[in-house]
Amino acid sequence: MSPEHEQLAAQYVIGLLDGNERRIAERLSEHDVDFQAAVAQWQSCLAELDATATPVLPEGELWSRIETGLRRAPAPLRIEDPTPVAIPSPHAAFAALWQSLRFWRITGLAGAFASLLLALGVGLLATRATREPVLIAVLLTEQNRPAAVVNAFANGEAELIPLEAIPVPPGRALEIWTLWDRARGPVSIGLIDQARTVRLNIGNLPQTGPNQLFEITLEPATGSPTGRPTGPVLMKGTTSTTL
Amino acid sequence: MAVVTMTTSAPVSRPVSERERLEEALRRCAGGDPAGLRTIYDAEAPRMLGVATRLLRRRSLAEEAVHDTFLQVWQHASSFDATRGNADTWLYAVLRNRALNILRGEARTELTEDFEPMGLASEDESPEAIVLRLSTTSALKRCLERLKPIQRHAVVLAYVHGLSHGELAGRLDVPLGTMKSWMRRSLAALRECMP
Repeated sequence: MSPEHEQLAAQYVIGLLDGNERRIAERLSEHDVDFQAAVAQWQSCLAELDATATPVLPEGELWSRIETGLRRAPAPLRIEDPTPVAIPSPHAAFAALWQSLRFWRITGLAGAFASLLLALGVGLLATRATREPVLIAVLLTEQNRPAAVVNAFANGEAELIPLEAIPVPPGRALEIWTLWDRARGPVSIGLIDQARTVRLNIGNLPQTGPNQLFEITLEPATGSPTGRPTGPVLMKGTTSTTL
Repeated sequence: MAVVTMTTSAPVSRPVSERERLEEALRRCAGGDPAGLRTIYDAEAPRMLGVATRLLRRRSLAEEAVHDTFLQVWQHASSFDATRGNADTWLYAVLRNRALNILRGEARTELTEDFEPMGLASEDESPEAIVLRLSTTSALKRCLERLKPIQRHAVVLAYVHGLSHGELAGRLDVPLGTMKSWMRRSLAALRECMP
């Protein structure tokens, strides 16, 4: 790795980056394996300094606020549940519901809609609380199950939020593509080793528009060798404008 | 709101059993069991609030950072991979990232309007005292001690209190350009020295 990137990783972990540099480091830490390794190394090197902090007892109300936050996301889905079952906690109930095929069969489109609500809820809980997407694509599997959401923001950024785990065989990776111009064909906008939330690399592309296709294919670990999707399409969906 | 601090000094190296308990708790979170999150809260929230308070100074902002961190941990627990790092390092990386976002982005103007000092309060522990609290066998301590004192202070103040290059330059009374080149050299030297 270049000495510049090495410094950037160190200053990122230590907390010295601001504005544009910080955004560059965030982007690298999502896509660049070497940069991720350097960041991880600095994190574990400096972590001992965190252990020198004098503990401060939180007030009881902090946990109640966290619990309230946890409850917020599952709520819309539970309303859609036609067959409520006795499960000890709302969160376990939510997880079970999410994995229940029967639920998805019964609810069909309502499920896709609910997942949209869930994704919005997840978005609100995350650090990007103040941002609202202008376009959203729900990516469906071959069985029409919603498996991920793409949020595109007014400032030209976009993110992918997976809704379920995706099995990735060893030596393979998930590659994210978008297609806005049939003549140019699909363009790779991200490569991840497992289903996780990532910022998509669309800075050099035209502004995302309605009805733009996003899809994920299974590719070799270093990405498609041809620059075009070569593996099976795991999920796909097109963008719609938010209200 | 009263700030309750514990007076015990910090145990610096974390026993393996504690780490395993955290990993197990994260696995439970990933499986949708909120009791896993509560386990992490009971074990780590006071230290997390301590770390966030050092960075953000204001109790309400520190609590916000810890609150947001727990929601992120809950959402992203499945992305933690024990083969690639320690659970505690992961947890505190999420916390620091959130706190630094608050510090660098959202809180700046709010803090200034509040007339709270942006620098360090006098009752803060000195960077030298913080280094002394690292364990005697710590490679980080050994490597930090190889730096010139003022450069060591800059590294510790940046990490622990989130001071920017400009704030460090002001605090340590050197020009901004000097501070930036010191920091680059200090970090390169640390990188060389660390195993």
